[in-house]
Amino acid sequence: MTLGNFVRTNRPRWEQLEKMLAHIEAKGPRKTDRVFLRELSALYRGTTGDLAFAQTHFRGTTLQLFLHQLVARAHNQIYRPHRLSSRVLGSFVFTEIPQAVRQHLSAVTWSAIIFFLGIAMGLSAVQFDERAASIILPNNILNSIYSGQMWTGSIFSVVPAPVASTYLFTSNISVALLAFAGGLSCGVITTWILFQNGFMLGVVFKLCANYGLLGALLEFIASHGWLEISSIVIAGGAGLVMANALINPGSYSRSDALASRGRTAVRMAVGCVPALVISGCIEAFVSPSQAPVWFKMALGLTLGASFWAYLLLTGKATTLTAQSAVQ
Amino acid sequence: MSPSTTTWDRRKAELELPEEIDLQVELANVGSRTLAILVDIAIGSLVLFIVYSLWELLAHDVAEDWFIKVSSSVVKIALILLIFGFQWCYFNLFEWLWNGQTPGKRLLHLRVIKVDGSPVSGIDVLLRNLSRPVDTLGPMGLIGLLMIFVNRKAQRLGDLMAQTLVIHETAIDWSIFDQVETLDAQAQGVVATPGIRLNSTQWELLHRYLNRRESFEAEVRQRLAPILRDALKRAVRGTDLERSTLAPEDWLLELARRS
Repeated sequence: MTLGNFVRTNRPRWEQLEKMLAHIEAKGPRKTDRVFLRELSALYRGTTGDLAFAQTHFRGTTLQLFLHQLVARAHNQIYRPHRLSSRVLGSFVFTEIPQAVRQHLSAVTWSAIIFFLGIAMGLSAVQFDERAASIILPNNILNSIYSGQMWTGSIFSVVPAPVASTYLFTSNISVALLAFAGGLSCGVITTWILFQNGFMLGVVFKLCANYGLLGALLEFIASHGWLEISSIVIAGGAGLVMANALINPGSYSRSDALASRGRTAVRMAVGCVPALVISGCIEAFVSPSQAPVWFKMALGLTLGASFWAYLLLTGKATTLTAQSAVQ
Repeated sequence: MSPSTTTWDRRKAELELPEEIDLQVELANVGSRTLAILVDIAIGSLVLFIVYSLWELLAHDVAEDWFIKVSSSVVKIALILLIFGFQWCYFNLFEWLWNGQTPGKRLLHLRVIKVDGSPVSGIDVLLRNLSRPVDTLGPMGLIGLLMIFVNRKAQRLGDLMAQTLVIHETAIDWSIFDQVETLDAQAQGVVATPGIRLNSTQWELLHRYLNRRESFEAEVRQRLAPILRDALKRAVRGTDLERSTLAPEDWLLELARRS
């Protein structure tokens, strides 16, 4: 059979398949009926046959390329992954994210160690020489502390709380996701982000203590700090998981280790996003407010404790079913 | 197809389907992937620019205090969210909802698929796009470029992590295989003498040219016809067409009629 005859005989079938694919790609499989799907799968099988024939007899032709594409598109529709449903989303949030964090608790611990090392270095740096603060803190904050004032008052009275909260949670989420992605640099970027944030916190703490602002600082961070620091540490842990896959892939190849561990690490990072949105809103609306200290403290501790309870306790029973749902 | 295929040319990857057919896809090259990114960045910047300048225009024309007070907050939030959204959500959302395509990729006929040929899932999209700050954006893009050059399947770090490929899709157009209509009309009076066997690549080459020749500019048509005739001379060895004195294009028509 010549190529011309082959095309002439089978072209109606291919065009029909193309038309049906365009329909299902635009509308989704729910808007189609049984007859449609039967015909689609019949046409798909027919076209795979044509492709096999073309691969034997018309190698290297454009026809082969076209048939490849047609079969690939049909294949995508027939073997499509689960679409998002409330069940899939629920198992993602309440099973897969907590499981991922629990699976990599040691990485989270290392991430916390780096973070607290940063705090310790920050504290001792200011202890030795107060000028060390100027390498990491901007001038307006420094001047405010030197004059015995919390810098937060002046900032939050100028910027409206909705704008501040948006800015805070977007920048915190960026830091967290960057800490995750930084794992691909063998952990250099992740470690740097964790250390730098810890260092800044340590410097601020010691400096505020020197100028009699410790109470005011603690009051300010009491309501959002727990959630924010937990999230950054967990996102850093996700980055360290990937760094570990690159440095120490075990019996896998590096790219395989990255692919399999990245899948759990990304769940850890995504789990931090809602927590950071909440903590950003609280930092802008509650932390600078006149609410009593006990309220801020109680709110912060409750949120921090529920976040960890969610990560450590939920989704223990259904291990296998949930894993296969989103894959 | 020559052994000296480089990164700039078409590269192929073999996938295996459950139907036991090896699916061959054409990998997207560095150039089109970079161009697609640039298109996406242009779209993001354009939206940002439009929102900002619309607000500036309104703030000047409607110079009432309450409007500026409220709208400046809203616009600030919108701008922050737009920048954040472009950085972290744009690629994720589009590739997830459009089955592996962003506007830039769609424009350049690129698509992201899994290495086994299946469509990408939400997690795959997250994996390959959350890693962009490390291998695509800003100066880090050099790392991604290098990876696409070096990696056999043109995968950057994010692609390795998500086990995805970026492929190029050629728009399907069956009409390039049409038998040339005029041939049949001409051949009615003449006794057809088939007997020249063209292989499928030669057949396709010949018919694609004959089908498209009307749309070529005259100068291009003049230039291509002899090149094609020379390329197809091998197939007519031993027949009278070999030493035929027909003009190149008539020669090609005659060949199409006889094969």
